[in-house]
Amino acid sequence: MTKSRDDREDQKHNPGRRKFLKGVGIAGAGAAIADHLSWTEAEAQERTTLSGNARITLDVNGSARDVQVEPRTTLLNALRNHLEPAVTGPKLVCDVGTCGACTVLLDGKPAYSCLVLAVDATNRKITTVEGLGSPESPNAVQAAFVEHDALMCGFCTPGFVTTISAYLKKNPNPSLDEVREACKGNFCRCGTYPRVFEAALAAAKSTAG
Amino acid sequence: MQQPQPSPSPKPKKKIRVPRVVNGIEQMVEIEVDADAGPGWGANDKHTLLNHSYTRVDGPLKVTGTARYTYDQRLPGMLYARVLRCPHAHARVTSLDTDAASKIPGVKAIIPAPLTEVRFAGAPVAAVAATTPEIAGDAVRALKVKYEVLPHVVHGPAAIRPDAPKVVEEESNLQEKGKNGDPQKAEAAFATADAIVEGEYISQRVHHACLETHGMVVDYRGGDTATIYASTQGTFTIAADAAKELGLTESAVTVSVEHMGGGFGSKFGLGLEGLFACRLSKQTKSPVKLMFTRYDEFVMAGNRSGSWQKLKAGVKKDGTIVALNARQYRLGGLGPGSQAGQPYIYQMGDTYREVYALHTNEDSSIAMRAPGHPQASFAVESLMDELAYKIKMDPVEFRKKNLRDEVYHRQLERAAQEIGWSRRNPIAGGNAGPLKRGLGCAVGTWGGGGNNQCKVDVTISRDGAVVVAVGTQDLGTGTRTYTRAIVAEELGLTIKDVKERIGNSKLGAANPSGGSTTAPSLSPSVKDAAIKARMLMAERVAPLLGNPKPEEVVFSGGNISANGKSLAWQQATASLPAAGITSHGEWRADLQARGVHGVCFAEVEVDVETGHVKPIKMVHIQDGGLPLNRLTMESQINGGMIQSLGMALWEGRVMDAHLGMMLNPGFGDYKLPGSLEMPEMVPLIDDADKREAVIGIAEGCIIPALGAVVNAVFNACGVRVRELPVTPDKILMGLANGAQITQI
Repeated sequence: MTKSRDDREDQKHNPGRRKFLKGVGIAGAGAAIADHLSWTEAEAQERTTLSGNARITLDVNGSARDVQVEPRTTLLNALRNHLEPAVTGPKLVCDVGTCGACTVLLDGKPAYSCLVLAVDATNRKITTVEGLGSPESPNAVQAAFVEHDALMCGFCTPGFVTTISAYLKKNPNPSLDEVREACKGNFCRCGTYPRVFEAALAAAKSTAG
Repeated sequence: MQQPQPSPSPKPKKKIRVPRVVNGIEQMVEIEVDADAGPGWGANDKHTLLNHSYTRVDGPLKVTGTARYTYDQRLPGMLYARVLRCPHAHARVTSLDTDAASKIPGVKAIIPAPLTEVRFAGAPVAAVAATTPEIAGDAVRALKVKYEVLPHVVHGPAAIRPDAPKVVEEESNLQEKGKNGDPQKAEAAFATADAIVEGEYISQRVHHACLETHGMVVDYRGGDTATIYASTQGTFTIAADAAKELGLTESAVTVSVEHMGGGFGSKFGLGLEGLFACRLSKQTKSPVKLMFTRYDEFVMAGNRSGSWQKLKAGVKKDGTIVALNARQYRLGGLGPGSQAGQPYIYQMGDTYREVYALHTNEDSSIAMRAPGHPQASFAVESLMDELAYKIKMDPVEFRKKNLRDEVYHRQLERAAQEIGWSRRNPIAGGNAGPLKRGLGCAVGTWGGGGNNQCKVDVTISRDGAVVVAVGTQDLGTGTRTYTRAIVAEELGLTIKDVKERIGNSKLGAANPSGGSTTAPSLSPSVKDAAIKARMLMAERVAPLLGNPKPEEVVFSGGNISANGKSLAWQQATASLPAAGITSHGEWRADLQARGVHGVCFAEVEVDVETGHVKPIKMVHIQDGGLPLNRLTMESQINGGMIQSLGMALWEGRVMDAHLGMMLNPGFGDYKLPGSLEMPEMVPLIDDADKREAVIGIAEGCIIPALGAVVNAVFNACGVRVRELPVTPDKILMGLANGAQITQI
């Protein structure tokens, strides 16, 4: 039976539901989703519950990092809010997998870290933009971004750099259209796209030689 | 009686008018400056660093995730705050029950919003601080609020009806904001016209959509001082109000803005986010981080004023416009909105306009890159195009005919050549096949002058280190980079030899970054400090160089030389006292100017079977006096075109009339320009501008692209879309209604 809208509203404020959400990590994908979902207490009980804090180890940029998180904590929030010291290269911009600013590599493949639970990222090799290069020793994509001014405010930049770095490993000699396609999951607001494309193509060229 | 003391003859002064930015909006004020202030920039083609392309100094930090933004701050014991928003467009909060929320482990404080009557959906009702953002979210959901729901109206045309709900009791939703011109004269002039065009033009409300949401970290743990990390366009716009909230003196509050993730006019002052963060921090004696969620950002962090413009113009066969009648509504929600007055930049003979603010139950529009200009430009450039087709005149020639300023003429010619205007089919929709290409153009203007607000220090240390310090902020415009470059060029050094310290309210004062005023306010002060540092240095080393006059000493290539003698930089600085030397720079009016011109051309392809518009190429030419850094200036021109393109084709807040809520408050539904839609882009710096002065260009390059795109769409398919954004449904509707294939 479909519950009425009002009943759902009541459920929202029921601590039992809160506990449930905490347990299965639904809220982990962003509070925005939790705003729109609700279950009855009975429905909640039927599901496997995992609550409290979980102590996990994440492999971040080649080092094992112990961290204690709630099961619902996203990988992004674990990196930014729980690891000590924090890893803040991946940015929190939308928290619902629409903008790409939180992109990290999981075993070399780009993923939105706001859509991955930290507890699901154990036993994966997590690479953030910090793991790709440093100001003193940038990778080819990072160097090309600086050279071609492919950034302005820079808040989307870690996501673009991470996405393109992974893409060039897969396709070392892309066309312009392939570069556009590769970063269609990343938004920039300042308007750096033309120079992001230039930088990606230049990085490909510099590593190809 | 004492005789008056003879005083040294005062330096000759002159009065000038300069812009001052308040909440992102320019206001003009009169100030007095020295008539002759010292050496200038020199010819624009004689610079060694400025007017060249050089990479931004914070680039390596930003591409490696090393740059620390406000959102990246994490302090020991820091709490995370979240805001509860009202779901009703107009309501009174009758009760707020915090019992359940406050019992959640980890919740440290809950505070109500300062107002109990809510006039837009999304207005804050309460804020919560907790040990994690997840728990803060739990607490927000556990708050129980009772509302007395009141009637609302969220659409301009509905708000104007006599029976519309009042946005503010006892006040009309329609407020007259001014009349200009003589309606009788305009009416008489229409009688002399050979053709008349009437149109209603509507621009939507778009969002700044800064990727770093609004927010602050307030670090107050009791005690006498506080530090605030803010994502702001104004380092110096926060401390006074924050101090009031915290019960401290203004100077006890330090504001830090190391890097910030976009503002576009929306980030000035303490704001609600800062107010809540201060109150929560004060109550908990803990650092509190309050960053808006993306949803918060859409519904309560501001938007560009919408517009509704009814225009009627009369034109003679030779292209002379003789009359304009304009009724302009600013759609600013609760706020007054903004819209430049018509006929904007054109000569239109006898003109008459009435301007109104039309209020709705929506959050107030706020300053957004070139406040009021893109709206006016879109309408008048659409009108110009319609007039040109009506009298069968080339749109470029028609614009030149009605633009007095010759700069526009040269820019129109240059950009027309760049896009290949001669390829344009004069018959709108006249190209064969379902994929029809078309070309359009438009023109824009802005002020971009500076003001005397920046205090800059340049320090040269005995070890040769050079530091330029000023509290300004870099929004991604390249402020850090040119600040360094100005000093490096003056001292004959490389960019790497100079370091900058910015983004802190304990450094020298600086203006808020709004209205393209940063570069023209800051760079003269930096230049002044650099010249003075050079002179101090020259005096210092004169004995080592055979005692030349300071102005005869040459600073070049890392050497200081005179009289055939030369010192390497560090040899020279070794002669400095232990504390080094520090010069202090003040703003100089003669090093900046005001008034920019920009022209945009666009080529689009319209699929007349689907209504889809694909941008193919955009060209924007922009003047700006002395370009401080060509690389970052071109990036900003690109950015202006792209943001304008987004407004032309995709972006727009969608409001539900019944619920009074925004229906698309997320990037899944609010369509930003993305990589797949990018046309070929050509940013052109107008080097024919020989002014040896710095002028801001950020606003200028977002203005004309709207008009260029909608006019290109018309040229491509013959559909005149008068309401933004130009979505496929509007094109198909236009085609279905038999858009005329207009021949010229």
